[in-house]
Amino acid sequence: MASTDRLIICEHCDCVYERVELAKHQKALCLRCGAVLQRHNGLDVQQRLALSLTAAILWMFANFYPVMSISLQGLHNSATLWDSVRALATGPITFIALVAAIAIIIAPMFQLLLLLWVLVHALGRRRSPAFSLCMRWLETLRPWSMLEVCLLGSMVAVFKLAGLLDVLPGLGLIALAALSLLMIRLAGRDIRDLWVYLS
Amino acid sequence: MSEDSNHSAAQPARPAVQTRRFSVSLVWIVPIVAVLVGISLVVHNWLQEGPSIQVTFKTGQGLEANKTAVKYRNVVIGQVSEVELSQDQKSVTATIKLVKQAENFTRQDSLFWVVRPRIGAGGVTGIDTLFSGDFIGADAGQSDTRAKTFTGLETPPPITYGEPGKRFNLHASDLGSLGVGSPVYYRKIQVGQVVSYALDANGKGVNVEVFVHAPNDAFVTDNTRFWNASGVDVEVGANGFALRTESLSSLMVGGVAFRAPDYSPDDQPAAEDKTFELFDDRPAALAPPAGKAQYLALRFDQSLRGLKVGAPVEFLGMEFGRVVAINLDFDAKTRTFPVNVGIVIYPQRLGQAHTKMLKVLNHNPDDEQAGVRLMGTFIDNGLRAQARSGNLLTGQLYIALDFYPKAPKVTFDPTARPITIPTIPSSLEQLQEQFQAMVEKINKLPIERIAGNLDANLVELRKALKQFNGKTLPGIEGTLQDMSTTLKSANATLADDSPQREQLSQTLDDLGRMTRSMRELADYLKRNPESLLRGRPDNAPADALQPSSRQ
Repeated sequence: MASTDRLIICEHCDCVYERVELAKHQKALCLRCGAVLQRHNGLDVQQRLALSLTAAILWMFANFYPVMSISLQGLHNSATLWDSVRALATGPITFIALVAAIAIIIAPMFQLLLLLWVLVHALGRRRSPAFSLCMRWLETLRPWSMLEVCLLGSMVAVFKLAGLLDVLPGLGLIALAALSLLMIRLAGRDIRDLWVYLS
Repeated sequence: MSEDSNHSAAQPARPAVQTRRFSVSLVWIVPIVAVLVGISLVVHNWLQEGPSIQVTFKTGQGLEANKTAVKYRNVVIGQVSEVELSQDQKSVTATIKLVKQAENFTRQDSLFWVVRPRIGAGGVTGIDTLFSGDFIGADAGQSDTRAKTFTGLETPPPITYGEPGKRFNLHASDLGSLGVGSPVYYRKIQVGQVVSYALDANGKGVNVEVFVHAPNDAFVTDNTRFWNASGVDVEVGANGFALRTESLSSLMVGGVAFRAPDYSPDDQPAAEDKTFELFDDRPAALAPPAGKAQYLALRFDQSLRGLKVGAPVEFLGMEFGRVVAINLDFDAKTRTFPVNVGIVIYPQRLGQAHTKMLKVLNHNPDDEQAGVRLMGTFIDNGLRAQARSGNLLTGQLYIALDFYPKAPKVTFDPTARPITIPTIPSSLEQLQEQFQAMVEKINKLPIERIAGNLDANLVELRKALKQFNGKTLPGIEGTLQDMSTTLKSANATLADDSPQREQLSQTLDDLGRMTRSMRELADYLKRNPESLLRGRPDNAPADALQPSSRQ
């Protein structure tokens, strides 16, 4: 058991290597396929927790402040993320609304909750209750969290509408941008380090 | 640690290394900043959040939650956050979230209305809402009390509170063709409009509120008269036919015009909310102020056919009142039907006469007793009322107050209310009476006796004539015959061949010869006066005997 803890397997070609300690700016590459095996993680648990907390706050901003507002000849409208989901729900493609809600609201929310749960306990160097379940779910949720896609879509909408209407990016869009960047950093594959860290 | 201190003294003691159990990384600044930003935003929003009010409208047309804005001077001061039916389902309640700066709009008399495109008498408004969608217009009130619920107006108020100008109240007996938005004219220029109208509390008139824009509101003075300028004013007078109207639009939507009389000294701009009377037309408005009305009662013992309520009352030919009531009465004492006529007079309309009289008599118009006494003296001096015919063709009557010093004295009852002025019959009536008196006198003549006498006289005359015929006429006949013979003989005497005539001409010839010789003698004597003494000389030439006329 102890010996397997020290081993890592290349995701792409299944080569087995021994784990190495990496310094700053270093990364471990697979000898056979050249894929990245390991990357130096500059963040300790505390920093991760702080950033997760920030991300949680940003998530709230992104959901409660309008992503963008448009106005045309005095006709004014603004929408939050939740408004967009609701708009989809009233249309003929209600199912898409569910997917959208999962992808841009629910999945990131659960990711953040799980992260906070795990990291708060990791601060005291112990595994949280249901640690393995949480870690598994974090992996499962990652492909469903599509904040970047939403961000890109929103920005495309802003740019495209800018010629036709008066478009004002709202506070929500900025929060969304920051949140999606943070999510890439926090909820990425690096979270696997916790297995080793807490073993 | 106690173990460490018990180590051998040879070795330097190892210091106690204490690991900080909980090191705080700088990275915590990030979430703290995020939290601070969040808190600041929330606080900012909370501070920005103004009051929330509810406005009820009859319909929710054009109102959308989170979309319909509330605007004042085209600046957004709030947003409709909710639109729902009221509990009794008779109206729509819109919940409006106002911004912080718009707290003035919660004053109790604030107004809210939905701005939509409208076509009215005054033009087309709200065109821009065709594109932007309806919005709620608001106008902050002035009241000190705040309210949470308001009733939205169905039509925009014509004048908003901030508009410079003044509001005035007009009181009229009816509205005429006025409406909200009807123009107000001053010298035919539109300077304001009718803002609202309502019935009197007792329903006996209409109160019309007008707004006159600054700076023209200064022309509304204390002496200003308002009149209804609706419609066309046609006047046919001695100068011909006159047609007056304020403007074409006032023909359709009515209008109010105002003006001060040309002679209005010490005129001050009127205060806001002053109440004026709204006259029916311009002549009535510009007539001298009526002043305090006085009710008088008249009692006529004659038929007053042709006297109508509203007929004029004139004092020495000046119109200064009108008839307000005509009632038939029954006099139990004399068993007659007199007519009670009530008149209202406005002594102030007499103008200068009235003011001078007040001054001279030192009379206070508000002192009722003194007024009654004054009326008593007038009646003692012969003040009487008379129903006169104003128009012989139509028989319209009017009441004339005049002084008849010869009128029979009447006792004046100063305690009776209303004051009663004695009447005298009308001139036509008087004429009738005189005629009647004459007929009565004629009736009284002893026509029968006169006829009897006349008859006797005629008999006598007849007798006399008979005598004349029988006796005198034959005598006259004889006389006439004698006269005829006399004339005949005279005729014969004067005939050409009568000897008397012959003799007469001979005599005349002799007389002529004699005259000639007399002249010759006289001539001779003039030349030879001595012959008177000596006689005719013998040698006297023959020509000396020639008549002097031949020389």
